[in-house]
Amino acid sequence: MEKIRIRVNGNEVEVSPDKTVLQVLKELGIHVPVLCHYEPLMPQGSCRICVIEDRGVLKTACTTPVEPNMDIKTDTPSVINSRKLVLKLLFSERNHYCMYCEVTGECELQDLGYEFGLDHFEFPTYERRFPVDNSHDFIMIDHNRCVLCRRCVRACSEIAGHYVLGEMERGIDTMIIADMNLPLGSSSCVSCGLCAQVCPTGTIIDKRASYLGRELQSDIIYSNCDLCPVGCGLEIYKKKGANFIIKIYGDWNSDVSYGVLCKVGRFLSLYDNKERVKGIRLKDEFGYRRIHEDDLLSLIKSKLNNAIAYVDGSLFNEELELIRELFKDKVYSIYPTESPIPTNINLKDLDNGSFFVVIGVDLNREYGTVGSFVKRNVIGKKAKLMVVDKGFNSLAKIADYVFNIKDLGLALDILKKEKEIIVIYKSLSKDEGKILESLSNARFLHLPLETNTVGLQKLRIKHDKVSAENVFIFGRNLEGIRDLPIENSFTLIFTPYENNQLYKGDVIVGVNDGFEREGTFYNLEGKKLRKEKVLKPAYDVIDLKTFLSYVLGKTEKVS
Amino acid sequence: MGKIKVASIWCEGCSGCHMSFLDMDERLVELINKGLEINATPITDLKVPDEDTDVGIIEGAVATNHHEEEVKMMRERCKFIVALGDCAVFGGIPTMRNYFSKEELLERGYITTESTVEGKIPTSEEIGKHLPKTKAVNEVIKVDFYIPGCPPSADAIYYVLREVLEGRVPKLEGELLKYE
Repeated sequence: MEKIRIRVNGNEVEVSPDKTVLQVLKELGIHVPVLCHYEPLMPQGSCRICVIEDRGVLKTACTTPVEPNMDIKTDTPSVINSRKLVLKLLFSERNHYCMYCEVTGECELQDLGYEFGLDHFEFPTYERRFPVDNSHDFIMIDHNRCVLCRRCVRACSEIAGHYVLGEMERGIDTMIIADMNLPLGSSSCVSCGLCAQVCPTGTIIDKRASYLGRELQSDIIYSNCDLCPVGCGLEIYKKKGANFIIKIYGDWNSDVSYGVLCKVGRFLSLYDNKERVKGIRLKDEFGYRRIHEDDLLSLIKSKLNNAIAYVDGSLFNEELELIRELFKDKVYSIYPTESPIPTNINLKDLDNGSFFVVIGVDLNREYGTVGSFVKRNVIGKKAKLMVVDKGFNSLAKIADYVFNIKDLGLALDILKKEKEIIVIYKSLSKDEGKILESLSNARFLHLPLETNTVGLQKLRIKHDKVSAENVFIFGRNLEGIRDLPIENSFTLIFTPYENNQLYKGDVIVGVNDGFEREGTFYNLEGKKLRKEKVLKPAYDVIDLKTFLSYVLGKTEKVS
Repeated sequence: MGKIKVASIWCEGCSGCHMSFLDMDERLVELINKGLEINATPITDLKVPDEDTDVGIIEGAVATNHHEEEVKMMRERCKFIVALGDCAVFGGIPTMRNYFSKEELLERGYITTESTVEGKIPTSEEIGKHLPKTKAVNEVIKVDFYIPGCPPSADAIYYVLREVLEGRVPKLEGELLKYE
């Protein structure tokens, strides 16, 4: 595109015309303070902190596109005075006294106050008392701190696609509301928590992260979530010098989730209080007793003949490869791993979709990030949505078509007429698969059962029920061993969590999990993603990868 | 470089700002050597500043009619008024009571407190009466300089007094300007 010439603070510059003034100034290295503006969201220009002067007129830099012959000035007295006045008014509306606010120290309003040297409130304040909404499990909204920037409203709709937050009333009476002014806890909020991430002040707060520490006191670790096969990008704030995580943000630079997270990735992984398997237990005639790691090693070596291994999809590639090496082709998956129709679409391409078909999965409850991608296109960009399910599906209320899975044949008539459709499904019967495969205009996204199901596929580990003299079981989710023919086998179970199926094990070994573990896995698109180790295990557990490579004689010592 | 007479009062606050003042430690001696004269303060336990006081420092918000009188007296007797600390500057933590009625406030403070057995709201005429609203000092009198912070750092107080002693107008910036 042809460049245009403008003047910035007296200097001639050439800029591309498809940019806003704010973007241009940022590229030129000129600092412009912002409050309502947040890079991934659509600019709105409501706070007027970012005003600049163009040929004598004050304009908001974030919403004004550059045009030829502009004469931009960023530091004239009228610009500075206007910004300062706006800031003084913002501080006087509602309660912006920092001392008892949760975010003091990393508040964008406070930073602006320091930047402009505000040392007192010029206008009277503390006149009105606004409600505090503490009804939600993970998030608290203190309306007294709100500056009405609408970042939360925009994030909830444009990015997360949930369209829960909105506003009511006007001017000074404006309130941020959920649904039709319901308490957040009883609204249709799906707890993705993006609003708390983008809030510039202490209005929307992550309850668990409150008072745990500031950004300055954290090590920031970029990782991928391994709790479902989407593998969203995480920005993990770990307290410096301590063994706990303050909070998890969505990573805007992730090429999987582009900043979106769901309830599981942002909150549930930190609220985890499942009982852990600790130490190594061996069953004898008196019940279980703890044994030493060396005894386990010699026991394993004696049991490797005539042995098979069962794995689940929670294992990382490195662990699977070692298991593969140890048991050769006698490795089986506890759960089905096949994709009835192979995935041939990236998550990013969902944003170009015009017709979505969601089969047998409630995207508000699982695979939340995929849900966000679908919802923001269906509600925000008027893409069509067809929901096909057996029973209740909360996506049905925004769907254009709702079918029972039995009537898939009828739905086909509608689908055939569309130019291009995107089919998102979790599991399909053979017949259903055949019906859908006949669609020539369809692209498919399979939502696998487990995190590394695609990794299992790549290693050609198949779901099967085989019995053997010695059975090794590795995995996080062991509900599936209920049906395995292992009654007469000597069974060794390596798992992080206690489970009512564990009594079947002759040896039970506690392994690390969650943020204690590192490794790579393939997400549903087939991208190789990495989970970083963030915490030291707080329990007496072994690291499966280290342990297996020791069994294989690859490393010297078990740490 | 002449002598500068300084007085201070303590209204609705926790005395933390005066602690910060004392926290200047040996720099206080340096300031006195440079010509700082400490007049009526809670530290010297003199109640009424001299009429020709140069700098009047006010800690705490204005919560009762007594505070109002004291603050006005400071304005009359001091040439230059400094609001010291968040309570004096913004109203601070004492303004939390503005969200409740006076009756609720007194009942909570003197009767329903968990540690109180048989409480009684004091009624003596000698005690100050609460104003309808707790205010920052600048809502009652004209304030010439603000040092926010809870408490403001000894560095900030030292910087301001030194600048005044050396005849310059202080300007708080960077680490010296904090709201908490």
